Amino acid sequence: MSFAYLLRRILTSIPTVFFVVFVVFIAIHLVPGDVVDMMLGTQNYLTEEQIDQLYKQYGLDKPLIVQFGVWLKNLFTLNFGTSLRTGRRVIDLILDRFPVTLELSVLSMFFATVIGIPLGIVAAIKKNSFVDGLVRVIGLIGLSSPSFWVGAILIVIFSGTFKGFNIFGYVQLREDFLRNLQVMFLPSLTLGLMLSAQIMRMTRSSMLDVLQQEYIRTAKAKGVSYSRLITKHALKNALIPIVTLSGIQLGYLLAGTIVIENMFALPGLGRLLLQAVNERDYPVIQFVVMFIAILIVVLNILIDFVYTLIDPRVELR
Amino acid sequence: MNRTLKKFLKRPLNLVSLSLIVLFLIVAILPSTFAPHSPYAMDYDAILEGPSLKHPFGTDQFGRDIFSRCIYGLQKSVIIAFSSIMFASFVGTILGLTGGYYGRIWDLLIMRLCDGLFAFPSLILALFIVALFGSNLVNLIVAIGIVYVPIFARTVRGTALSLRETLFVKASKVIGKSDVKIMLTDVLPNLSSVLIVTFTTNLSTAFLTEASLGFLGLSVPPPEPTLGGLVSQGTAFLLSAPWISLFPGSVVALVVFALNVLGDGLRDVLDPRNR
Amino acid sequence: MRKLLVAFLVTLLTLAIFAQKHGGRLIIAMETEPVGLDPHLVTAFASHRVLENVYDGLLRYGENLQLIPNIAEEFQVVDPYTIVFKIREDVKFHDGTPLTVEDVLFSFERILNPDTKSPAAAFYQDVESIKAIGDNKIEFKLKKPMASALLPNFAGVNSSIVSKKFVESGKNLQLETNGTGPFYLAEYVQGNYIVLKKNPHYFVKDQPYLDEIKIVFMPEEVSRVSALRNGDVDIAKINEPLNVRQFPEGRFKIYRSPVLSYYLIGINTTRKPFDDPRVRNALNYAINREAIIKTVAFNEGVVTGPLSPMVQPWALLPKDFDEYTYNPAKAKQLLAQAGYPNGFEFEIVTSQRYNFDKVAQVIQAQLAEVGVRAKINLVEWGIFIKRWRESDFDAFISMNSGSIEPDIQFYRTFHSKGSTNVFRYSNPRVDELLELGRSTVDTTKRKEIYDELQRLLVKESPIIFLYSANQIFVSNASVEGFKLLPNESLIFLRETYKK
Repeated sequence: MSFAYLLRRILTSIPTVFFVVFVVFIAIHLVPGDVVDMMLGTQNYLTEEQIDQLYKQYGLDKPLIVQFGVWLKNLFTLNFGTSLRTGRRVIDLILDRFPVTLELSVLSMFFATVIGIPLGIVAAIKKNSFVDGLVRVIGLIGLSSPSFWVGAILIVIFSGTFKGFNIFGYVQLREDFLRNLQVMFLPSLTLGLMLSAQIMRMTRSSMLDVLQQEYIRTAKAKGVSYSRLITKHALKNALIPIVTLSGIQLGYLLAGTIVIENMFALPGLGRLLLQAVNERDYPVIQFVVMFIAILIVVLNILIDFVYTLIDPRVELR
Repeated sequence: MNRTLKKFLKRPLNLVSLSLIVLFLIVAILPSTFAPHSPYAMDYDAILEGPSLKHPFGTDQFGRDIFSRCIYGLQKSVIIAFSSIMFASFVGTILGLTGGYYGRIWDLLIMRLCDGLFAFPSLILALFIVALFGSNLVNLIVAIGIVYVPIFARTVRGTALSLRETLFVKASKVIGKSDVKIMLTDVLPNLSSVLIVTFTTNLSTAFLTEASLGFLGLSVPPPEPTLGGLVSQGTAFLLSAPWISLFPGSVVALVVFALNVLGDGLRDVLDPRNR
Repeated sequence: MRKLLVAFLVTLLTLAIFAQKHGGRLIIAMETEPVGLDPHLVTAFASHRVLENVYDGLLRYGENLQLIPNIAEEFQVVDPYTIVFKIREDVKFHDGTPLTVEDVLFSFERILNPDTKSPAAAFYQDVESIKAIGDNKIEFKLKKPMASALLPNFAGVNSSIVSKKFVESGKNLQLETNGTGPFYLAEYVQGNYIVLKKNPHYFVKDQPYLDEIKIVFMPEEVSRVSALRNGDVDIAKINEPLNVRQFPEGRFKIYRSPVLSYYLIGINTTRKPFDDPRVRNALNYAINREAIIKTVAFNEGVVTGPLSPMVQPWALLPKDFDEYTYNPAKAKQLLAQAGYPNGFEFEIVTSQRYNFDKVAQVIQAQLAEVGVRAKINLVEWGIFIKRWRESDFDAFISMNSGSIEPDIQFYRTFHSKGSTNVFRYSNPRVDELLELGRSTVDTTKRKEIYDELQRLLVKESPIIFLYSANQIFVSNASVEGFKLLPNESLIFLRETYKK
C-alpha cells in the first residue's frame, strides 16, 4: 500500500466522519427533551430564570450551528468536553470504557472465526452431504436468533451451574486476568455465535467457488496432496471475501455490543452511548459517535491492507 | 427457469425451508384463521400459565394467549421486515445502479454516503428516527430500511460497475439506447440473482433488528405484538416463565433460519458458475 | 469470684458476637448508577441510595419512618414558626475535620442559593432565617406556622450537611465526596461499580458493621437474578416479583416492603373531555385496580388512595371511597350522564419504565369495556419528560414519589401554582385547603382539612391514584440485618452484616 494511497484514503474519509458526526449532532438536538429536561425530570424544581441560566452555562442557548462550531473548535484544542450529567471528562470516560468494548469485539471475532471457519471448510469439502446440512443448520441457528435472547438463555443456563464461575463482575485484564476472561466468556460467545454463522456460510461458499476453479483441479490432477490443497491454495483465496465480511460485521458487532454490554453489565462504549443518549449528555454522545466512526474508517483501511497481504495481486492505487 | 427451479427443489433442505416460509406467509396473511384467541384479550384468571391445550404456547402476565400473539406478531414482523428490505432494496438499487453506471462524482458521493451510514450504529439511527418521528409502523420501516440501503447500494454498484464494461452494454450504447433504458433493460436483469440473494439474506437480519428495537422499547407500541417485542418482554421472565420468550424466540429463529437456507439455496442455483 | 467469671464470660461472648458481626464485604446489585455525587443537586434514585450512606442530614428516618436525630442530637419545635436543632459535637467528616455549626449553616445557605440550583431550595422557600445560636445550636425561623410539615425534609439526601472548608477550597462535589456518613466513597468505576468503605470515625460508635460495600450496576433484571443465583452478588433488587420463585428458602432471604411511591394516571384537565370532572370521576369506576396489581405486580402491591394507606393518621383508605369499587356499569352510566354514552377516544402517553407500559395496557383493556378507547403512545423517557413538563398530553401513566407528610405529598402537585401541577388543575377550594393545611398546627384540625382535600381530589380526579408496588430485595443466606424502608431508602446498610 503506497503512502499516497493511504493519505488519499484518510483524506477522503474525513468528510465521512464529519458527515456522521454532524448528522448525529443535529438529530440528537432535534429529539424532544434536552439535558436540562432530564435533570429536572418529573420534579420540576427550578425557576424559569434558573433554567435560562443553566442553558447559558451549557452553551445550549446558542443556535445549533454555533454550538457545533464551538464543539469543533474545542476539538482542535484537544478539549473533548465534559459530561453534562456527571461532570467527568469525556476523554476519561472513553479511555476507561473503550478497552472493554475492544476486548469484547476481539474475543467475539475470535470465537466467530474459530467456530465459523472450520465449520465452513468442513461444509464445503463435504458439500451436499448430511454433514454439510447439519453444519449449516447449527451455524444458522446462531445467526437466526436475536443476540440478547441468546445471551439471556446462556446466562440462565450457566448461572448456578458451575461453582466458582463468575458470570458478572467485570474487572480489567491487568487487574485480574482469570476473572476478566471468565466474565468476558459468555458475552463474547454470544456475539461470536451470531457472527460465526455468517463466517461459516461465507467460508463455505467462497471455498466452494475456489475449489471449482481450474487451477485447483489442475493441482489435484498433478497429485498435490489434498490437505495442502485446502490450506495453501483454497483457503488463502477464500479468505478475501471472509475478510470483507469481517469488515461488514463490524457494524453488527457495534450494534450488538450495546445490547450485550447491557445484559452482561459490562462497562463498555456501547452502554455508555446508550446511557448518554437516554440522558441527552451531548458532549459524550458527540465524542463517542465520532470515535466509533473514526474507528470504523481506520478498520476498513486496515482490512484493505490485509487484502494486499493475502493476495499480492491486489494493488491499492 | 424450470431447470433452476427443479435443481433448487432437489435439495431437501431447500424444500423444507421453502415450505416453512410458505407456511409462515399463509399464517401471516390470515392470522385470524389460525389464532384461537384474540391477541389482546386479557384473562385475569389465566395469568402465567404454561403451555396447555387451551393455550398451546401458554399465557403471559395478563392472561393473553401467546400462541395467538405469536401469529399476529408474525404478521407484524413480516410486514416490517419485508417492507423495510423492499424500501432498502429499492432505494439502494437506484443509488447503486446510477452510481455504478454514471460513475465519477455521483458515484463518489453515493459511496461516501454509504460509508457514513455504515459507520452509524444502526440502533442509534433507529433510535433517532423513532424518537423524532414517533414509533408508528411507517417510521419503523423507514428506520430499519435506511440501515440496509448501503448494503444494497454497495452490492448493486459493484455489479453495475463491472457490467458497464461488458460488450453488450457497450453495444447498446453504440446503438443509441438511452442510459435509463440501458440501466433498466440491460444491467438490471443481470443483477437479479445478486439482488435476490442480498434480499433474502438481509431480510433475516431485518427481523433481528426489529427484535433488538423491540428490546429497547422502540418498536410498535403496545398492545400490538411483534415477535421482537414478545421476545424482549419475556426476557425478564426467562427463569420463571420461560415460555413467554422461548416460543416467540423460536418462531423468529425458525423464520430467519428458513430465510437463510432459502437465500443460500437460491444463490447456489443462481450462481452463473454453477450453470 | 463468680461475678468476675460471669463478667469475663459476658465480655468474651460480646466480643465474639462483636467480632462475628463486624467486617466483611457486601456486594449489592442495583439497576441504575448514580448521576452525579453532589448531595444538594442529585435527583437520581441511584445517587440517593449511595449518598444516603455517605452523607448525613440533621435528621434521619428510623425503622418505622419516624424522624430521629442524626447530626442533630436533639431537635425541638419551639413554636410553629421555629425549629431549633442541637448539633452533635463528635461528628467528623471523612477527611478528619470536625463538623461545626458553621458547616450546617453553610450547607443550608448553599441549598438556598439560587445559583446552586438545588432541588431542595423549594422545600425551604418559607424559611425566613437560619441562625446559629452559640456554637452548637441552629435555629430555623419560618414565615408560615409549618414547622412540623417541614421536618421530614431534614432527613432527605438533598439536605445533607457538607463541609464548608471542603467546598470553599474549590472541590467539585459532583466528582468528590466528603461526608460524615457510616461509609465513605472509596472507588467509583463509571459504568461498573462503586465501592464504599467503612468510616472508622462514624459518630455512631458501633456502626457500620461491614468493612466494605460494593454496589454493582446491572440494568437487566435477568442479569441481577442470575448474578444472585450464581453467587456473583450477595443481594440484589428484584423488579419482577415473579422471579422471587427462583430463590428457594434456606439458601436465600427475601425482603419485601410496601412503598410510598404510587402509580397514577395523570390527566390534562384542560383537554376535552377531561375538562369535565364528571368524566374523570367516571373513569375510576371503570378501572379494576386489583387486576392491575395481580397482573403487573403479581399481587405484590396495594391499592392506594391519595395518600398511601400506611400513612397514619392522615390517609383515607380506598375502601372509604365509592370510586374505588370496580363498577363498569356505573362508569358507563356516569359517562352517559356527562354526555358520552358511546365513550370517547384519547391518548395515553407513557414510557417503558417501571412497568408503566404494562399498567397502560391493562387500563386500555379495562377502559375499552366501557367504550373508552385509549391509544397508547409509548415514547422514550426523555420525550416523555418533555411532554410531561409542557403538559402536552391527554393523559399519562407514571409514578410519583410519596411522603408521610400530607403537605409534601399534595402541595406542589395540586396547588394551582404548584411546580409539578402539570395537570393544569385549578380548584380554589383545593388551594385554600392546601394553604390551611400547611399553616395549621392542631393535628385534629389538620386531619379535617386533609380529609376534605382527599375527598375532593378523588371526586375531581385530576389524577387517578392507582396502586403502590412493593419493593423486593433478595439476598443469600449469609446476609443479616438488612432492612427496607417504605421510602425505598437503604440507610440500614449500616446495620447489615454477613454471617
